[in-house]
Amino acid sequence: MPRRRLIAVAALTLTATLGLSACGGDDEPTTTPASPQGSAPTQSGEQSPDPGSGSEVEQSGTRIELTRTGDVFDPSGARVKVKRGEAVTLVIVSDTAGSLHVHSTPEQDVEYRQGTSTHEVVIDRPGVVEVESHDPDLVVLQLEVR
Amino acid sequence: MDGTVLAHGLGGAKDLPIPVDMAVAGAVAALVISFSVLALAWRTPRYDASRGGLPLTVPPAATALSWVLRALGMAFFLYVAMAAVLGEDTLVNPVFGSFYVLLWVGIVPASLLFGPFFKAVSPARTLAMLVAKLTGAPADRGLLPYPERLGYWPAALTLFAFVWMELVFPHATQLGPVRLWFALYLGTMLIGSAVYGTTFLARADPFEVYSTLVGRLSVWGRRDGRLVVRSPLANLDATPVRPGLVAVVGVLLGSTAYDSFRESPTWLRVVQSLGIERAWPDTAALVVFTAGVTLVFAAATVATGVSDHQARRHLPDLFAHSVVPIIVGYMVAHYVNFFVEFGQRTLIDLSDPLTTGADYLGTGDWQINYWLSMHPTVLASTKVLAIVTGHVLGVVAAHDRAMKLLPRKHQLVGQLPLLFVMVGFTAGGLYLLFAS
Ligand SMILES: [Cu+2]
Repeated sequence: MPRRRLIAVAALTLTATLGLSACGGDDEPTTTPASPQGSAPTQSGEQSPDPGSGSEVEQSGTRIELTRTGDVFDPSGARVKVKRGEAVTLVIVSDTAGSLHVHSTPEQDVEYRQGTSTHEVVIDRPGVVEVESHDPDLVVLQLEVR
Repeated sequence: MDGTVLAHGLGGAKDLPIPVDMAVAGAVAALVISFSVLALAWRTPRYDASRGGLPLTVPPAATALSWVLRALGMAFFLYVAMAAVLGEDTLVNPVFGSFYVLLWVGIVPASLLFGPFFKAVSPARTLAMLVAKLTGAPADRGLLPYPERLGYWPAALTLFAFVWMELVFPHATQLGPVRLWFALYLGTMLIGSAVYGTTFLARADPFEVYSTLVGRLSVWGRRDGRLVVRSPLANLDATPVRPGLVAVVGVLLGSTAYDSFRESPTWLRVVQSLGIERAWPDTAALVVFTAGVTLVFAAATVATGVSDHQARRHLPDLFAHSVVPIIVGYMVAHYVNFFVEFGQRTLIDLSDPLTTGADYLGTGDWQINYWLSMHPTVLASTKVLAIVTGHVLGVVAAHDRAMKLLPRKHQLVGQLPLLFVMVGFTAGGLYLLFAS
C-alpha cells in the first residue's frame, strides 16, 4: 500500500511539474538575429525616407535584420536583448511595403518600403516590447529592454 | 491606421522576466516552508467557522450606506456604458481599461481590503434587487429554488467565458465584442436572478463569485449573520463548500498561468508557425491550463486515505479554498505593474470618455507614474514575494483542513500529494514568470 501511495505521489508531482512548466525548458532565447553577417554592409546608405523612422544609423546599438517574404517574417517572435535608451537598428528586407508597430509606451510605428530599409527605434523604459506586424497579424520580435 | 491600432491588447511594454536566482530562491523557500508547515504545525484543526472573530455592531446608517454604494456602482457602470455605446472605438476609450483592469484586476485589491466588494456595488445585483422590489418578491428567492447540486459550476463557466474573452479572443479590445459580452452577461444574470433570485448571482456571476472568494482573505467575515473581524485564514476556512468550487479556482489559477505562457517566445513561435488563426491553439492551451490545474488539484486531494463517512469525491471542493491565496499571489505577480500603470492610464482616459477633449473628472492632466517599471528589481522581488506568500497561506489552509477531515493515521501522508502539487503550482508559476 505505501508503495502504491508513493507512486501516486510521484506521478502527481511529475504531472504538476510538467503541466506547469510546459513552456519547454531550453528557452532562454538567445536568438540574436542582430549578427551583422553577410548582407549588411552596403545598406547603411539606403535609409528609409519615412518621417517615423530615425535617420541616423548608429553602429553601437543592437542591429537586427528582418526579412519579409510574402506574409512570412524571419525572425518570427524571437526575443532580442537590448539596452534602454540605446538605438536599436532594424534592417528590413521586404518584398512589399508595410509597417511594424512597436508596443513601447508611447507606441512607435516603423513604415518600411519594398527592398531594404534601415530604421531606428529607441526605448527608454525597461520591459518586454513587442514589435508587431498587423497585416498579417504576427509578433515579429520581442525586445527585452533592460 | 485606426484599423490596425485596434487589433491588440492593452498596455504597452510587458514586464521583464524575473531573474533566475530569484525564481530558484522563491521555489526553494516554498519547498522548505511547506515541509516545515507539515512537520511542525499544529495537529488539531485551528480554524472554526462557528467560533472566533470579534463581532461588530453595525450602525443603523449601514443600510443607507449600502444603497449609496449601489448607487455609486450603478453610476460608474452607466458612465462606462455610455463610453461603450457613444465613445470612439480605439484604445483611448476607457471602456477597455475599466473592464479588464479596474474591474477584473481591481477586484483583487478591493476584495482583500473590503471583503465581498463586488457584491456591494454590482449593477446586476442592484438591478435584480430593484426588479424584485417592483414585483414585491423577496430578492433572494425567485420562481424556483436554486438547484444546489449546480453549486458554483455556472461561475466556473462564466469565469471561463471572461478569461477566454480577455486572453484568447483576438478582438477583445474592440467595442462591439465587449458590448456583446457584457450584454450577454447582464442578460444571463438578470434572467437567472428572476428565476432563482439573487442566489443565482452568488453562484454564477463571475465577478461576484471571484470577489467574494478573494474577500475570504480579508478580515471581514460573517458568523450567524453577524459581521465579525477575524484573521484572514479563519475567514478563508469559513468559505462555503459547494460543488464546482474546485473548477472555479482551477479556472482562475489556470488562466493566470496561461496568461504568462501565451506570451513566452516558445509558444509564440509555435502558434505563429501553425499558419492557422491563433485563437484556436490559444483556446486549446487555455483549456489545458484551466482543466489541467483543476484535475491535478482534484487528483491530489483524493489521493489520501479517508474515513468511512467521508466521501472521497467531495474532497476536491473541500480543499479548494486553499487555492485562493495562491490565486491572489499569482494575480499580484502577474498584474501588479499592469494594474498600477494601466490603471492610471484608465483613470486619465475616464475623464474624457467620448474623446471630445472633455475633462469631467479632473484627472485628464495626470501624468502616469512609471516608477515600478523603472525599478525592475523591486518589481521582480514583489512578484516572488507575492507568489511565495500565497503558497504558504495555501499550504497552511490545506493543512488545517486536512487535520479536520482526514483520519489520524492518514493525516501526514495524506497531505503529501496536495503539498507536492502546491509546490508544483508555485514552482510552475515562478518558472513562467522567469521564462516569459
Ligand atoms: Cu500593435
